[in-house]
Amino acid sequence: MAVEISISVQAQGFDPGAEYNRLREQNFADGATAMFVGNVRDFSPSETGERKSVTVLELEHYPGMAESALGDIARQAAERWPLGRVRVIHRYGPLDAGDEIVFVGTTSTHRQAALDACAFIMDFLKSRAPFWKREVGEGTDSGSWVEARSSDEDALKKW
Amino acid sequence: MIKVLFFASLREQLGCDGTEAEAGGVTNIAELRAKLSENGEAWKSALTDERLQVALNQQLSTLDANVADGDEVAFFPPVTGG
Repeated sequence: MAVEISISVQAQGFDPGAEYNRLREQNFADGATAMFVGNVRDFSPSETGERKSVTVLELEHYPGMAESALGDIARQAAERWPLGRVRVIHRYGPLDAGDEIVFVGTTSTHRQAALDACAFIMDFLKSRAPFWKREVGEGTDSGSWVEARSSDEDALKKW
Repeated sequence: MIKVLFFASLREQLGCDGTEAEAGGVTNIAELRAKLSENGEAWKSALTDERLQVALNQQLSTLDANVADGDEVAFFPPVTGG
């Protein structure tokens, strides 16, 4: 049976509970559902261990390419693991600390396949999907772009 | 014409989100980048950042990829989504 893949790149928020219900709806073959939700942190960690306050996270994306890149990553996961459904949501625009920013949900007949596919999609999303974050702090802080981390690129090697 | 797009910190460095370039005389993305670098010192320093990534027609690509009239090329810093 073909894998059902659903991708959304959107400004508006989402309800993780409703997304879980959709992954399970009329899906009696898959005994495993894995989900990851990423939230906006209220601080920015630095290498020196300082915690700089973050009040708003601004997300820029490349319209069109963002959707197709997420779709490609989801299809790669579906080729590697026996998945039933894949749901990916990524938000853009200004987000407040605590907001949900990204959702990845996978279903499978096998627990490990659902968990691995979910982790694979998150790892590739962080290094291959065209989104950029800018952290804005309190008061007059005009914000600074988040630097890509080499650990994110390293995370791809395990796959 | 080739449609050229810039994102995130690169967009801010250049002060614009894109431009158009004549396809004539340009065979690949490296040559397109060299041509755009002639727009001034700011363009030269921003576009020669070796960490920059490039997409051709909304697919991640490399500097040696061929470009032609009607293509869309985007330059951007390493992505930081998720």
